[in-house]
Order: sequence, then structure tokens, then C-alpha cells
Amino acid sequence: MGVPDQLRIEIRHDGGRVVLTLTGELDMASAERLQQAIDEEGLHAETSVVLNLEQLQFIDSTGLRVMLRALERCRARGQDFAITPGSPQVQRLLSITGVATHLPTISSPDEMVA
Amino acid sequence: MSQRSLPARDVAVELLVEAGAVLATSLDLTTTMKQVAHLTVPRLADLCVIDLREGDGEIREVAVAAADAALASALEELRARHPLDPDGEHPVARVIRSGEPVLLEEMSGVLLRSFAQGGEHARFMIEHRYRSAVVAPLLARGRTLGALSLLRLGDSVGYHSGDMELAGELARRAAMAIDNARLFSRLRRVEQRLEAVLANVAEAMTLTDDRGQTVFANQAAADLLGATTPEELTNAPPGTIMERFLVFDEHGRELGLESMPGRRLFAGEDPEPLLVRNVVRATGEERWLIVRSSPVHDPQSAHISYVVNVFENITEVKRAQLAESFMAEASRVLASSLDYAETLQRIAQLAVPQIADWCAVDVLGERGTIERVAVHHSDPRRMSLAEQLDRGYRPALDEPLGVPEVIRTGEARLYADIDPDALAAYAHDDAHLSLLQAIGARAVIIVPLAAPANTLGAITLVSAESMRRLTDADLDLAVRLGRRAGTAVESARLFTERTRISRMLEAALLPDSLPQIPGVEVESLYHAAGELNDVGGDFYDVLAYGENRWMLVIGDVCGKGARAAGVTALARHTLRTAAMLGLTPTGMLETLHRALRQQPAGSDLCTVCLVTVEPLAAHAALTVTLAGHPPPLLIDPSGARSQLGTPGTLLGVLDPIEVTEVAVELRPGQTLLLYTDGLPEAGRSTGLDDQSLFEVSDAVGHSSLGELLELLEEGALQRANGSLRDDIALLAIRLRGSGVTPRRASGRVSVPG
Repeated sequence: MGVPDQLRIEIRHDGGRVVLTLTGELDMASAERLQQAIDEEGLHAETSVVLNLEQLQFIDSTGLRVMLRALERCRARGQDFAITPGSPQVQRLLSITGVATHLPTISSPDEMVA
Repeated sequence: MSQRSLPARDVAVELLVEAGAVLATSLDLTTTMKQVAHLTVPRLADLCVIDLREGDGEIREVAVAAADAALASALEELRARHPLDPDGEHPVARVIRSGEPVLLEEMSGVLLRSFAQGGEHARFMIEHRYRSAVVAPLLARGRTLGALSLLRLGDSVGYHSGDMELAGELARRAAMAIDNARLFSRLRRVEQRLEAVLANVAEAMTLTDDRGQTVFANQAAADLLGATTPEELTNAPPGTIMERFLVFDEHGRELGLESMPGRRLFAGEDPEPLLVRNVVRATGEERWLIVRSSPVHDPQSAHISYVVNVFENITEVKRAQLAESFMAEASRVLASSLDYAETLQRIAQLAVPQIADWCAVDVLGERGTIERVAVHHSDPRRMSLAEQLDRGYRPALDEPLGVPEVIRTGEARLYADIDPDALAAYAHDDAHLSLLQAIGARAVIIVPLAAPANTLGAITLVSAESMRRLTDADLDLAVRLGRRAGTAVESARLFTERTRISRMLEAALLPDSLPQIPGVEVESLYHAAGELNDVGGDFYDVLAYGENRWMLVIGDVCGKGARAAGVTALARHTLRTAAMLGLTPTGMLETLHRALRQQPAGSDLCTVCLVTVEPLAAHAALTVTLAGHPPPLLIDPSGARSQLGTPGTLLGVLDPIEVTEVAVELRPGQTLLLYTDGLPEAGRSTGLDDQSLFEVSDAVGHSSLGELLELLEEGALQRANGSLRDDIALLAIRLRGSGVTPRRASGRVSVPG
């Protein structure tokens, strides 16, 4: 592909939930890796999956698709899913696509998911 | 001893002539002096002795001649035991010291005793009745080299002053001969030393005179210039050595003898060292030489009498350097074009004349035929030969030798010596043979045009009239060229093919032409992302939408490639059908959403923006409906801009979708711009309202709609450093007569290339 993967994923299990902290850029080059990480780690989480986007600079429609798929999977497994607000670009994309209202948002990764 | 008369004048002349002949012929000092001494006996003397002063000042007798041979040998023996004292009173010692001749008309016993070197010497002289003597100095170039002594014995007539002249003349001539002999022997020693030095110098050296005759050469020069021994070079007539070679300068121009530094020195110039490519006619061997010449001036006239030529063989260094620069140039040429026919022609041109006189490129066609795609020769007149050959005798893939063999096996071949018999065996018929002979191949290299996975064809390099021999080093270079070119051709082929497929797909996804909307200008632009050379998921459309209404559509399907292309086609056609059925924008979007939800994978995202356009008297009435798509922009002639519409849910994932139709007016001079997110994503800016739109806003008042879209495209490309990550689709409208006249009405699709 030639596009360098610019995403770092940090995984932290905290009680019944898993927090994936994303740093950098989530796009076509890194989306699949995040998809795998969410699928694997989500299985080991009892209650909820949190995507911490505080350090995420950029997201494109492919990244959006990964988040939406994660939302669907979690709901199907009876888990909660939440994100934290990302950079202005991330928030803007979530807003433009009408996804923001569908994705539960918490103000910090340590906040309990409703 | 018989009584003799004094020599007559003619005897003296005869003697001097004979002495001259003796002195001129032999250069061996001792022999010469003995011959001179013998000439004087008996005509001028009964006994003649020649003594020389040695380097250490000692006096050495070199020649004794006497009518009585026993006397001569006895004297030699005596003098060997009792050398003359250089500081003594012996007349020879005195003459050598003073440089003045001595005449002893009558020598008494007392006189003889006075200068004898001891009693035995005195007894010898008295016993042999020494009577009269002339001792003349051997003078040359102001130095006394020795003395010539003439003696009369017994009853012979004594010398008188009249004999001094002849003795002096004879001595002068002998001295000159001695001097020359000594100079010659010194010169020989210097020369021998020089030869010993030059012979051991690794570099080839020759010494040539002003006629171009080689007067000296060392073994290295003989080796370099194709001679067995240095003598073969020094025996060769002037100018004939150069005939063995073809000599070119660095740029391939042939050089004559007059260009050689040695010749130029004789012509009064001050030449720089010359770099030449030298080809041995007999073998075709190629060498790179630096020729340096320096003058040897004649000390008297200050003219150049000789030039020393030093030939430095830098073939290895030059070859390596040429190979590197050739490959660098080849890579540059190959990288600069993705048109593969052009690429191959440039490869052929590059190889000539650097590696060969001819270069041809053949590729394996789809049906297993061998097709000649490029051929080059530095002389265009000779190109027709290759064309005739290709027309009449294109090889078939199953032929055992040559290009077919290399293409089949992928193995490079070097034919270092083209043998006439082999050529005849290879030729199909007489006409073929005569064509091959006309080409005059001396050596041939055929290398595979090697792509990473397979052999695409072959590159043929032919050395002909340049006489150049092709070596393993040339073969290595050609193999590298074949690999590099093969990779380039493969990329170019793939690119061409992918471009063709992409264009076909895009043609299915994008409208051929946009419908006319009365009173409204419409422009579109599509730029496929370069990186994947693949169809993206962007689409746009302009549809008739009821009476005097039109619908602008722009959308983006997530992903790329065949799957995205399929979804894009579905989206576009679903929207068309929905519009034709008269559904509202909301209804159209809901229809598309349901269609996407029914797709097997179930998670194909699609964002869409719909804008209805109703041209009215002074403005156009618009409605904007967004489904996850970036809002269109309304830009005033002043550059002020606003985002239109209310964000709505993207399609295909989340139920239910929420979209809002927002009514807007498009006024004269205003521009409505619809775009896909490839535009804000270029260079990862965080939104379209940054740099690119700022630039465009400045231009909006004085640009046509088409120019505006091109500015946006250029800006996006610049920010993305020429390589977009995502496609760009742009669709814009403006009321007619309200801005700059557009340059064209239809859309433009650009594919990187």
C-alpha cells in the first residue's frame, strides 16, 4: 500500500471493561488492525468496551466503519460501548456523518459507562 | 731498424685520412687506439705509445705499437709493473700536466736516466736505443686526456720541429675519438640505466622522435600496443603503430594521429593529457587510456628532439564508472515514463553507443509471438538493415538460438566471436545471410528483459563497425540493464492495464456528460487517488427531477476496489431510480439506506449529499439534504462562504436514519460547491474550511467555474505532495451570466499518469 500505519493502540483491562487508547491516525492503513484488536480484547471484557480517542488526531470513513461495527458487535454480545471525544477533526467527522448521536460518549476513559 | 727518410707530405695526408677512417669507425677505445698506434709504425715512428690519464689522475698505457712485436710486449709488461708517475719528469707526465707538446730531438743516456721510472726502465730504454721522441697531448674540449708518443730508435733519423705538426694533428684526432668514445660509453651507461628504469615501470612508455619514429619502448608499451617485444615497436615505420587501433575520444569521436599529445607537442602546442578509448582492430579489445606526453629538449637548439609518451591504462576504473553512470541514467530514463513502448525505445537509445553499435528490444506478445518493439543504431542509414531483418526474418519462439532461446530460458548469452560458419548455419537462406553479413556483427549479447516473475522479452546488443569486443563485464552490465528494464516494463504494462480497467469502471460509475440546466452552469471534476491506481467509491450525478427541477448528487462509499465499485454503482442507480419515481430527497436517501442494509455484508457505509435546483427568474431555489456527507459550500463573489444543510445520518449502518431538507437560495455570482472528503483529507487538514478554501475564496470572484475546480484540485494535490490518499469528486454550479464565462461545459475526469 505504501501508506505508513500511523496508529498506536494501547490496551488496558480495568475490572470488567477494556479501554483501547488510540494515538495518531485511524485510516485505511490502520483500520484492520484496530478491528482485530477490538474483536480480540472485546471477548475478554465482561461489561464494556471503551475507545479512548483523546489522543486520536485523525479518522476517516474507514475508521468510522470500524467503530460502528464495534458498536454493533458489543450490543449483540450485551456489552456497553463508549468513546471519548477526539480531536476537532474526529468530532467533526462524527458530527457530519450523524454518528455522534448514536455513539455513547463519555468525558474521560475512567468515567463509568452508563 | 732501417734508416728512413722523413715522411713526405703526401704520406702525412695519407696517414691522417687513414687515421680519420679508423677513428670514425670504431667506438671501442682500446681497439681504436691500438689501430691508431699501428698506423704510425713504421711510416712515422719505430715505436708509438698512447697513454691516457685516468679519472684518478694515474697514467695508463692503452696502446703500444712497434715494428718489433717483442719490444712492444716487453714495454707493455714493464709499464704495467712500473706505471709512470703523473708528477714525475717523464715527458708523457709533463705533457699531460702542461697540455703542451714536447720534442726531444736527441735523447742521451743521461736524459733517459733523468726521467726513467727506476733502473730497469732506464736500462730498457738504453738497451733499445731510444733516440728521438715527439710527445703530443691528446686534447679535447680543453682537457688533456693523455699523450701520444712517437719514438725513433737506433739509427733512425731523429724528429725535428717540422714533425710536431703532424704528431699534433694525429693526437687531436685521436683525442676527439677518445672523447667521443668516452661520451658514448657514458651515454650508453645512462641509457642502460634509463632503460632499466623504464623497463621496470609498470606504465607503458615510448620515446618518439620528430618523424614519429619510436626510438624507445618498454615492455609494458609493447604489451599495450600489441607488440611482442619493444624492438617490434622501434622497428615499425612512423605512423604504422597507430594503424593497429581505432582511437576515440570520450564522446565517441574518432581521433587521428595529429590529435595525439606527442604530435601536438611537435606542432608547438601544449597539450593536456588525453583520455582515449582505444580499440584493437585485430581483437576488438577495448581499453581506456590516458596518454601523457612530455618534451625532451635538445640542449643546444632548445627544439624538441623527442617526446616521452606515457600510457596509463584505466580501463577497469573507467568501465566501472561508465557502468555506474549508465545504470544511473538507465534508471532515470526508466523511471521517467510509464509508457512502455517509449520506455523501451529509450533503453535502446541509451545502450548505443555506450555498450554497442546496435540495440534491439523484442518482447513476447500475448500469443507467443516475438515482437520487435525498439531498435536503435547511431547511424540512421543503417537502421533500414534492422528493419529488413525484422520484416523478413522475425524469429519464432521455438527456434533453438538467439532471442527465442534467451526468452525461453531466461539465460543471458554472450557470443564473443561471431564466426562466419556459425552465421551461415544460423541464417535461414542466402538473403538472410547477406543481411546478417551487412550488419557485420562482431560480437552479440542477448539478455532477458526480466520482470520479477517472468521473462518479458530480450535485449540484443550488437557490436559491429566499432570493432569493439564484448566482454563478460559488458554482459554483466547488460544483464543489470535487462533486469532494470524488465521491472520498468512490467510496471508500465500493469499501469497501462490498470488504468484501462479503472477508466472502464469509472465510466460506469460517473456520468458521460452532465445534463444542461437552463440558466445554470454546471462543472465537475474527478481525480482518482494515485496510490492504488484503483477505482474509488466517489460518485456524482446530475439528474432531471421533475418539471424545471434538477437534482445534484454527490456521494462517497467507504472503501476502494471492486467491492466499493459495486456498492457505488448500486448507490448511483438506486438514487437515479428513486429520483425518476419522484421520491423526495429524504425518500431517496431512505431507499438507498434500505438497499445498502440488504447487502450481505451489512456494513457498507455511504455518505450522500442531494441538492435540488429550481432555476427561477433572478435566482435558483435549492434544497440541501445531507446523509453523513460534508455540507456543501455557498461562496459569495467576495469570497465569504457558508456551509449549507443540517448534518444527517450516514447510510447503510445505523437505523433509523435522520435527515433534514434545508431550503436555500442561490443568487447571481454565488457558487455552490459539492465535494467528497478526499478534498479535506488531502494532506490531513482537519477540514475543508482551511487552506484550500481560503485560496479558492480569493479566486472565486474572477475565475470561471472550471478554473475554480482546478484550483481546488491543485491545492489538494500540493498539500498531499502529489499523492492523494482518497479520490476527489467536485461538483459546482453557478447562475449563468453571473461570473466569468466557463471554458467548457462538461466534466473532467483525471487519472494520475
